[in-house]
Amino acid sequence: MNKLYLWGIIFTAFMLLLTYLSVGGSEGGLNGDIVNMLAVTGAIALVVITVFVVIKYVRQMQVDSASGELAQDNWDGIGEYLNEVPTGWAVMFFLLIVWGMWYFTIGYPLNAYSQIGEYNEDVAVHNAKFETQYKDIKGEKLVEMGESVFLAECKVCHGINADGIDGKAANLNKRIEAVAIKHAIANGANNMKTDFPGGMPPMMLSDPAQIDAVVGYITSGFPEGHKGAEAFAMGGCTGCHGEKGEGMPFVGPKLNGFDVATVASILKDGKKGAIGTMPKFEKLNDKQKEAVGAYITSLSK
Amino acid sequence: MFHWLEKHPFFFAVGVFLAISFAGLVEILPNFAQAARPVIGTAPYSTLELAGRHVYIKNSCNACHSQLVRPFKSETDRYGHYSLSGEYAYDRPFLWGSKRTGPDLMRVGNYRTTDWHENHMKNPASVVPGSIMPAYRWMFTNSADIDTAYAEQLTVAQFFSVPYNEPVPMKDGSSKVVKMGKSIADAKAIALEEAKVIAEDMKDQDVKDAVARGEIPEIVAIIAYLNSLK
Repeated sequence: MNKLYLWGIIFTAFMLLLTYLSVGGSEGGLNGDIVNMLAVTGAIALVVITVFVVIKYVRQMQVDSASGELAQDNWDGIGEYLNEVPTGWAVMFFLLIVWGMWYFTIGYPLNAYSQIGEYNEDVAVHNAKFETQYKDIKGEKLVEMGESVFLAECKVCHGINADGIDGKAANLNKRIEAVAIKHAIANGANNMKTDFPGGMPPMMLSDPAQIDAVVGYITSGFPEGHKGAEAFAMGGCTGCHGEKGEGMPFVGPKLNGFDVATVASILKDGKKGAIGTMPKFEKLNDKQKEAVGAYITSLSK
Repeated sequence: MFHWLEKHPFFFAVGVFLAISFAGLVEILPNFAQAARPVIGTAPYSTLELAGRHVYIKNSCNACHSQLVRPFKSETDRYGHYSLSGEYAYDRPFLWGSKRTGPDLMRVGNYRTTDWHENHMKNPASVVPGSIMPAYRWMFTNSADIDTAYAEQLTVAQFFSVPYNEPVPMKDGSSKVVKMGKSIADAKAIALEEAKVIAEDMKDQDVKDAVARGEIPEIVAIIAYLNSLK
């Protein structure tokens, strides 16, 4: 018997012993567990097949000599036998060509995936869900949504309580403050361009006493018989904002309180006023703007 | 030639390397060059904005703030459209950052304004309760380095053909001309014009006075830079 086979058998036995020991011997869980048995059987098969296939080819290298018909071409003494193409190899070759065509045209992973594509799908799914889920939202729920949007987007300037953080931004707990009214009278206001395209020119009022009267009238909530009512009418405020500051669509915003339309209009165009500049919030969708409007309206009630 | 190459494996290897590199360049470079073109709406930095950018770098803002919005719903909801490579065309170096201790600033100019930045730089916690960002009060007194900003403008205009004094297309179809001074004095005058616009929206009387005197405090420059991030 060839020495090689002997070594092969010894090596196989050694590997099988290692396998047996590494799974913990017969106490290890081989007893009766079908999965473990299968795994060990597979390991044994692998070892035996590997060892004997290697031996076969090593033997072949030792004893075989080249034979067969040589091709006519000869390159510096190196020749080639005229062997048939092995069937298995040929079949695999053509299958790989077919697979390659499929892979390059259809199967290539980058053809099917892009990060931006996944992002677009995410956004579409989210927007569709938002649409259906909040289509008929109103009342309490709308205010709640507005509060959460407010806490995400608005609170960095207006503060958690919407009080404007010591005058750093507008106090949203009341419709309008004296400083903002004075600024608008002196400079005009052209903030809400989309909904009130005309804008507001600097007003005719110049007498400080009259301005103070108007400011008092507006900030105290347009009370009946207030001394500022006359100045309010005389200054031309009523022409656009209405007699009681109720506002007019497309002409002048409501002044006697917040409503959804006013807030949405400010969110749409941003604002530059007495205190500073507020950016526009294009990223909020219409429903979110409405919700913020509902929340802010609810604050001053 | 081929016989010679066959007998000199080293030079053969060099030849193979050159051939493969060339193929690689031909495939990669055009696409890369295309993606690195400035997108419409991206304009070069003005003198004051560049000075502000230097303040941003000097104070290591990029250690806590990124400038890179990734294409995830959660990010674009908060920061705006995801970043495109062409938007960094005039960023040398880009300031992507590697960590967000604070929020991303890629598009901060869209949702914060001059007066907010002023309050925030003076005392971050006054507008963002619980913020761990330090106050940057020295920016209100230090002067911005317009000379270096102008030097950078000259350099990038000459070596990278950054389009100063030329119309640059904007998103709304209009075009914008970013001015670069002809001399250092000219550049300072241009920067001061920009600074006046910013200072007008600010509250700090010392800063207003400084700008009226013709000085440009760092805070004005960095606000100009932050407002330009859109």
